Amino acid sequence: MLSYIAQRLAQTLLVMTLVGIFVFLLLHFSAGDPAAIIAGDYATPQQIVAIRQRLGLDDPLLVQFWRWAARVLSGDLGVSIFSNTPVSRLILQRLEPTLSLALLTMLFAVGIAVSLGVIAAWRVGSLVDRALMGFSVLGFSMPAFVVGYGLIYIFAIELRWLPVQGYKPLADGLGPWLLHLILPTVTLGLAYIALIARMTRASMLEVLEEDYIRTAKAKGVTTKTMLMKHALKNAGVPIITVIGIGVALLIGGVVITETVFNIPGIGRLVVDAISKRDYPIIQGVILLFSGIYVLVNLLVDLSYSLIDPRIRY
Amino acid sequence: MTTTRRSFVQGSLAAGALTAAPARLRAQTTPPVSRTIRAVLHGDLRVFDPVWTTANMTSYHAAMVYDTLFGVDDKFEPKPQMVSKYSLSDDRKSYSFELRDGLRFTDGTPVTARDCVASIRRWGARDGGGQHMMARLADTPVKDDKSFQLVMKEPYSLAVEWLAKAATNACYIMREKEAQTDPMQQIQTIIGSGPFVMNQDAVVQGQRYVYDKNPNYVPRSEPAVFTSGGKVVNVDRVVYENIADEATAIAAIRAGEIDMIEYPNVDLLSSLEGEKEIKLEVLNKQGQLGWARVNWLHPPFNNVKARQAMLYLIHPTEVMKATFGDEKYFKGCSSLFGMGTPMENDANIDWFKGGQNIEKARQLVKESGYDGRPVVVLHATNIAYMNNAANLIAQWMRQAGFNVSLQASDWGAVITRRAVKSPPDQGGWNVFFTSGSVNAFGNPVALSGHAANGEKGWFGWPTDEKHEAFRDKWAAASNDAERRQIARDMQQNAWDFVPHMYYGQWFQPAALRNLTGLIGMPELIPFWNVRKG
Repeated sequence: MLSYIAQRLAQTLLVMTLVGIFVFLLLHFSAGDPAAIIAGDYATPQQIVAIRQRLGLDDPLLVQFWRWAARVLSGDLGVSIFSNTPVSRLILQRLEPTLSLALLTMLFAVGIAVSLGVIAAWRVGSLVDRALMGFSVLGFSMPAFVVGYGLIYIFAIELRWLPVQGYKPLADGLGPWLLHLILPTVTLGLAYIALIARMTRASMLEVLEEDYIRTAKAKGVTTKTMLMKHALKNAGVPIITVIGIGVALLIGGVVITETVFNIPGIGRLVVDAISKRDYPIIQGVILLFSGIYVLVNLLVDLSYSLIDPRIRY
Repeated sequence: MTTTRRSFVQGSLAAGALTAAPARLRAQTTPPVSRTIRAVLHGDLRVFDPVWTTANMTSYHAAMVYDTLFGVDDKFEPKPQMVSKYSLSDDRKSYSFELRDGLRFTDGTPVTARDCVASIRRWGARDGGGQHMMARLADTPVKDDKSFQLVMKEPYSLAVEWLAKAATNACYIMREKEAQTDPMQQIQTIIGSGPFVMNQDAVVQGQRYVYDKNPNYVPRSEPAVFTSGGKVVNVDRVVYENIADEATAIAAIRAGEIDMIEYPNVDLLSSLEGEKEIKLEVLNKQGQLGWARVNWLHPPFNNVKARQAMLYLIHPTEVMKATFGDEKYFKGCSSLFGMGTPMENDANIDWFKGGQNIEKARQLVKESGYDGRPVVVLHATNIAYMNNAANLIAQWMRQAGFNVSLQASDWGAVITRRAVKSPPDQGGWNVFFTSGSVNAFGNPVALSGHAANGEKGWFGWPTDEKHEAFRDKWAAASNDAERRQIARDMQQNAWDFVPHMYYGQWFQPAALRNLTGLIGMPELIPFWNVRKG
């Protein structure tokens, strides 16, 4: 087990190195010059050249890459070109809103999706099953910004139950924190619910056909016990896998949801950084996201052995 | 130990109370909503140094935390602001300034003449008007803590006008310590003597910028007019909220979560109709001017006939209608200096009076000897008015005989590519679209885009010696009447050689929720004088 974890962690480092190189090259080969953006619209070409030199953007690409990589290896993600603020501080400043949104969405989505998937599988072919699956197709097809605007219109403008936008830190109280996260969580969670619910249903249907389920039924086991104890546990591996894969969906969704709901999270940070070509921020955030994604999937792999004792590393 | 439902509920309540406690503590220092203005301005505040960048958002920030020696009134005439009295010698070579009483930086130190001289020198190294003045400056003697002079090498009448201007880069007064920073480096500390203090602990970069009332600021006694007069602050806090999504900003003002949107999306204005507490008001009465820059370094626009063709083929009303819809929000622009500025005139505008004339444009393209090579038009798709201008003008260019290659990207890529001087087929360009405040266009010397000094100048690099001579003459003029005549001569010449073209002037309204006293002016949103409720 330990050697497997070590091996996977080494792979994680390799993946993050490749991501780092890829992102660096992609950014520097794409059009856009932070110096021109910094200088403002009336700046002369000479002023822009001077800013480029100050920022070291005229240095050869290899020199720039090495400078960045050496910093990252020593734990320093660099400094924002525009605000002169360390990227790590900017990320830390934005971590709470993003983590709050992502974790709340995950809890909300997994709780609902697994229940829906189990019910749909149990009542396969029924109206309930069709309605639930229709809902999941809808949830998966509707872009987050459409859902977001719809929810804002109904619950924030017409009914005035919830705020339109913004974020309140947990330190301001549980109530305000939750109130500001309800609409973003529902918006972000819909696609995730759809994905997990469909996988849960499919996996459950397969398990419900197994002999041991028939045996359990024959022994007079209650439906609840049969579904939750015998079927769901055995259907768990594909569900957990799709939850892990869905983290990528969540990360992509966070970027849009934070923009729609004006949440000062890492998604907003990276969108703003892209629009102004603030390379250190973009590189830092993508490294962070890729690290999270790889680590979540490592945890998912490790969790298999907990769900299914036959799986050993 | 077993967790019961009751113990879980008790634990949750205790945790909630604990997390809520800091909020109560903080409430003691957070002003109430009724004393706080939450404004969504036109962009993010990325840089805090008003000398280092010409970005308008930085100038907005600077006007909050710094003060200026002079302000302008609603006729754009300079008025003393930090200065109590000043004079210009009879030979127009020596300016004397004296600071008014009570000026203090937010660190408690008094504002001195040395701070002012250092600030002028740093600003003068970067600003167009400042550079013009510094090239003619001989010395800046400091007489005492409150008095200093600008001694010029030759008679010069524009110094006070440059010091008073509200357009970026404006001359904000910093402490000598910060003002001694290399003008090509950003300052690291924000300490001013303006009506507000930036609350840096409450700032979330990219999201929220917080300004508290400066309790030690002593405003002038005159009424506030543009950047002149008493900058009396009537609220405790102003927050710049950077809401990137326009629909969200509209929803937020409808729900009362914000008090102002500087430029609400025109397509969404109808959703604000019927909201009794929200009013739409054009704050910048001069408006914005859309301009097309053509590249003088390469064919076809190195030929005057091709540039003249562009004048005839652009239909400003159609371009503006595509973006702003309602005609009350836009008009065409025939003057080189923008409509409504002191230098506006009607010299040599037959091309405009006749309206769009594709036939004439086609004839001029033929006369230019255009050989059919692709004409690269840079198309910024992420800014609505630029997107519409590029699509429409490219089509009219095609009708006039140009072989247009419309190259789409975001604005960030356009501003990089516009600096490339290589031929269009090697990464260069032929046409790009941008905009600026009409107020800036009214000054032929300060606006770098008015220069026609070739490759040393602004993107497009027009060249015309006569035009440059007019600019020098304008700067040396001793009064406004003389300047207006020179501006007329300059325009007469300009619409012959065609340095650039305009595709419309617009007046986008701001959405204000229960705000009164907001001073509507170009280049700035001042938050002094404003009341809430």
